[in-house]
Amino acid sequence: MTASIGPVKADPYLWPYDGTVPVSRTALICIDWQTDFCGEGGYVDSMGYDIGLTRAGLPATARLLAHARELGMLVIHTREGHDPDLSDLPANKRWRSARIGAEIGSDGPCGRILIKGEPGWEIVPEVAPVAGEVIVDKPGKGAFYATNLDLVLRTHGITHLILTGITTDVCVHTTMREANDRGYECLILSDCTGATDPSNHAAALHMVTMQGGVFGCVATSDDVIAATEV
Amino acid sequence: MPSVDALPHTFTFDPDKTALLVIDMQRDFLLPGGFGESLGNDFAQLSRTIEPLSALLTAWRAASLPIIHTREGHLPDLSDCPPSKLARGGIGEQGAFGRILVRGEYGHDIVDELAPLDGEFVVDKPGKGAFYATELSDILDKLQVQKLVVTGVTTEVCVHTTVREANDRGYDCLVLSDCVGSYFPEFQRVGLEMIAAQGGIFGWVADSPSVIAALAASQEQK
Repeated sequence: MTASIGPVKADPYLWPYDGTVPVSRTALICIDWQTDFCGEGGYVDSMGYDIGLTRAGLPATARLLAHARELGMLVIHTREGHDPDLSDLPANKRWRSARIGAEIGSDGPCGRILIKGEPGWEIVPEVAPVAGEVIVDKPGKGAFYATNLDLVLRTHGITHLILTGITTDVCVHTTMREANDRGYECLILSDCTGATDPSNHAAALHMVTMQGGVFGCVATSDDVIAATEV
Repeated sequence: MPSVDALPHTFTFDPDKTALLVIDMQRDFLLPGGFGESLGNDFAQLSRTIEPLSALLTAWRAASLPIIHTREGHLPDLSDCPPSKLARGGIGEQGAFGRILVRGEYGHDIVDELAPLDGEFVVDKPGKGAFYATELSDILDKLQVQKLVVTGVTTEVCVHTTVREANDRGYDCLVLSDCVGSYFPEFQRVGLEMIAAQGGIFGWVADSPSVIAALAASQEQK
């Protein structure tokens, strides 16, 4: 007997649209849980935002991650970052980060900001990848552009995505929009995400639920765990 | 170079390297009785963009700068419509203006006031974003465009998705508040705020009279 998920009590419909889906066709996506976005001395901290807000989803994500591993669900982690020579850093992205006082590639308390291989770029220990899990490195906000994510998902026969990570309105939303256009049925978890501005977190979740679920659905990690059949 | 008062800071652009993007100003979304209204939405929240956008198109055409229109829609056999999207209803069904969001139908085309002229690009897209599964990247490469002035509907769905895609690809995006529209005032406000947040994480926000004035000033200098 293979494990399955659904229907999950979600907003605006019972997720997924096709009722129940085998765990083997579902992936848990953990977006950018990096020190640069939720750790002391990282990029977000350096810009002066409250990392308490971006860390808020960590305990629930860690719990869901343990559950997904037990089920044998495909887990994919993403990391935003650039090559040390900055050859994949768009000029406007660099310029904006400099303007806000935390230039990508410059030295910070956790090494060079958003640079591959630096301490700040690593995923925080609470939700760190284990052997066998896929890690996708991305240069932008979306996890599909200029990455192998779509290929990895199709190779594994994945049709349904459960999204966690930071920040809700930026990287998680961009990735969810890309996934939705590619036909993946998406579920974003309100307790496993977070933003530098709580009202943007709320608005981003609300946007998902409009027009009959224009990008998919919103639920909590408890809703997902409760809807799993082993 | 023309510069525009914008949030979070001034937007400067070389007109020869800037394209106007007009997203999904289609009858199905904008006309009374269309798909948008049939979902219970207030189409007037969108149709208020037609007048300023029409003035902007006139100015952009007068300066002979590139214009790219997009249309969301699917092939008549719906073979390019993901099952999850189809399951949400509407698409392919008979609506007031033909089959809803199907290419070739009256409702799928752009409203008369903003109809594309010969020489303007029309990009048909199956999703919310204008880059995925379309030729938009190739067109922008060919035009050697680096900056996009973004208009159209709806602010938080197709406009936002396209701006996010463009931003990841390194394009500077200026979103015009009076030329983008949402059925929901809350999302219009927060959608624009999100663009300019964190030092302009997705781009810049201004209004169309500022762009028209900047363009006129640069034309006079020539």
